[in-house]
Amino acid sequence: MPDHQRRVYNRLAVLRAERGLSRKQLADKLGINYQTIGYIERGDYNPSLELALTIAELFRLPIEAIFSLKPLTPLSEEVFREPPAEPR
Amino acid sequence: MSTTTTSRIEYLPRSRRRLLVAVALVGYPVAVAALVGLKHTGLNRWLILAVFLLLLLPTLAALAVGYRYARGRIDGRRARLDERDLSLRQQAYALSHRVLAAILIAATAITEIYLTSGNTLRLDANSFWPAVMWVIVYLPALPSLMLAWIETDQPADA
Repeated sequence: MPDHQRRVYNRLAVLRAERGLSRKQLADKLGINYQTIGYIERGDYNPSLELALTIAELFRLPIEAIFSLKPLTPLSEEVFREPPAEPR
Repeated sequence: MSTTTTSRIEYLPRSRRRLLVAVALVGYPVAVAALVGLKHTGLNRWLILAVFLLLLLPTLAALAVGYRYARGRIDGRRARLDERDLSLRQQAYALSHRVLAAILIAATAITEIYLTSGNTLRLDANSFWPAVMWVIVYLPALPSLMLAWIETDQPADA
């Protein structure tokens, strides 16, 4: 990744594992080379907006659930996080 | 080259690729310098040729590996280049241009300093041929070499 680019964090590896997809299978669905999936997962390559939207569409998730400019917390933590206590 | 060899080249770590690029870039000038130096020693011309070719071998091997590493991503022979391939190709061409510009500026500056120091430069086939060969060998190979230089290590298969 060029030095001037900000790192984009993602949950691609987790989502791919959840759905039992190999890099090759996911790459074929997206029409890209399988190495590119590895580079995105590792944070070495920031996908274009078009590719990011296609990935979000494929996983049927909002784009911000997959990609973020801040480090992402584990999905389970987000799903089962205790809601803040309501003031009495 | 067999598929196994190609796959091994594809997974070469960046440190080793950078070493190969350095060998490819430095090897030819070193071989030519050795040739020029040996010509003045009065050694047998066949022996000089053998030494020259021996010094040239690592360069040729490094150039071949660099070309193989690019896997048709520079010359567009690979049928499907995705957005990362295209972006890498662009970066490789940009870096090639910078390297070439730096080499040309350095060569011009050295020549200028040499000439303004009261020396004369005789341009004949013997001195012109290495320069022509350099252009023939390196101009087409430079983008592939730069691609091998900039690409990060491949992620392990999963």
